[in-house]
Amino acid sequence: MIKIEYLSKKFGDLVVLKDISTEIKTGEVVTIIGPSGTGKSTFLRCLNLLETPSGGSITINGVDILDKKTDVAQIRQKMNMVFQSFNLFSHLSVMENLTLGPIKLQGISEQEAQAKALELLRLVGLAEKAGNYPDELSGGQQQRVAIARCLAMEPEIILFDEPTSALDPTMIREVLSVIRRLAKEGMTMAIVTHEMDFARDVSNRVLYMDEGLIYEEGTPEQIFEHPQKEKTRAFINRILSYTRRISSPDYDLYAINAEIEAFCEKQILPKKTRNNLLLLVEELLQIYAPYLGPIVLDITITYSEKNDRLELICESTGEQANPIESASLADELGLMIIRNLTESIDYQWINGKNRLQFLIKK
Amino acid sequence: MDLHTRTEGNAIVVTLSGRLDAVTAPEFEKSIRELIDSGNSRIVVDFDQLDYISSAGLRGLLLMAKLLNAKGGQSCLANVKGNVRSVFDMCGFCSVFKMENSVAEALAAIA
Repeated sequence: MIKIEYLSKKFGDLVVLKDISTEIKTGEVVTIIGPSGTGKSTFLRCLNLLETPSGGSITINGVDILDKKTDVAQIRQKMNMVFQSFNLFSHLSVMENLTLGPIKLQGISEQEAQAKALELLRLVGLAEKAGNYPDELSGGQQQRVAIARCLAMEPEIILFDEPTSALDPTMIREVLSVIRRLAKEGMTMAIVTHEMDFARDVSNRVLYMDEGLIYEEGTPEQIFEHPQKEKTRAFINRILSYTRRISSPDYDLYAINAEIEAFCEKQILPKKTRNNLLLLVEELLQIYAPYLGPIVLDITITYSEKNDRLELICESTGEQANPIESASLADELGLMIIRNLTESIDYQWINGKNRLQFLIKK
Repeated sequence: MDLHTRTEGNAIVVTLSGRLDAVTAPEFEKSIRELIDSGNSRIVVDFDQLDYISSAGLRGLLLMAKLLNAKGGQSCLANVKGNVRSVFDMCGFCSVFKMENSVAEALAAIA
């Protein structure tokens, strides 16, 4: 459907995209992941001609869209885009936002456009908001309206540029569920996202972009479970887990808490789970505290939405000993809390380190 | 953590808000010691505004009970709920301390 060959983009001397070549087939859902500033959004914007590529070619169903004779407005109708900042017309009602394009650009009647708009609003769960204005809606609702508006133009492919990055965690799910539904219905989509579990679930193919090129691509399983290249591996590990090294008894508990809360927010974990995790970490740090300095503790928290598992791993240097079975604990209070917050606790001596692995109750 | 005290009859009401954790527990213990050392023997701790407690906070409460017992005093906890209540349940503290649903009931319990 879309064939991209040797696509490049420069802003002055700054090379943002270098020789990108890939294809997006009809019905395929392609997610584009990677660190910030590696050209993901620029790549999408080039596809939609919001940025003019510096080189290469893009063809849609055999038509070269970089040809000067190509009707850009028509291309944008075929390949519509949803932006992170919604871009709704604030002076128009939800219904008017959805019907403006079909009436003006497709020439269909107001009545027909409204009937279609209502159908699409039902699809995204917002039919009752047809008469409201964008500023009367939450961020999540505005983004769902933006998706419905995009669908109103009956595009052949939708490009999503970080559709949830401007939303509060509570609103992210409602938008992702609409996109998941479109994927199930066979809509062709290219999605730039930082929601890794979503990317893993919804995609047929994942493009990992780094250094302005498609650094690695593959199925979600290949990219998330068995990444082949070093930078992909480092990125996947970083995004799906939280790691903190603690080497002093004077650690900053509140700084650690803030980092854990940010991780939980990214993973959209419920508040109760966050509280339990913070409590578990505090109790463990209290147990390790007398030994820190001579020993170093690495805490790693991992969450898998797919398996619904939240795990915490403590790896510490020092002599072989299970830190939570030490006879030197002042009392059992911390241990009682730890046992209550976890489903299982495993101790192992691995590679010269004491490793405690906790499966956290959710 | 914020800690405020007020006198109600012959008792002191200690109102806590925020977090009672490894960082703030020493401050709580210091305040409790000062109150008991200055002759207060009936203490109600109001947890209504407390969002979080860890084992460090629980140890502070045990210290309070121990110091009061030594002086023949009494304590009662009020409004222990939500996350804080869960931690009390985990450690069996609900059977260790007198607990009431309001400050007024707690004051009556140790009157």
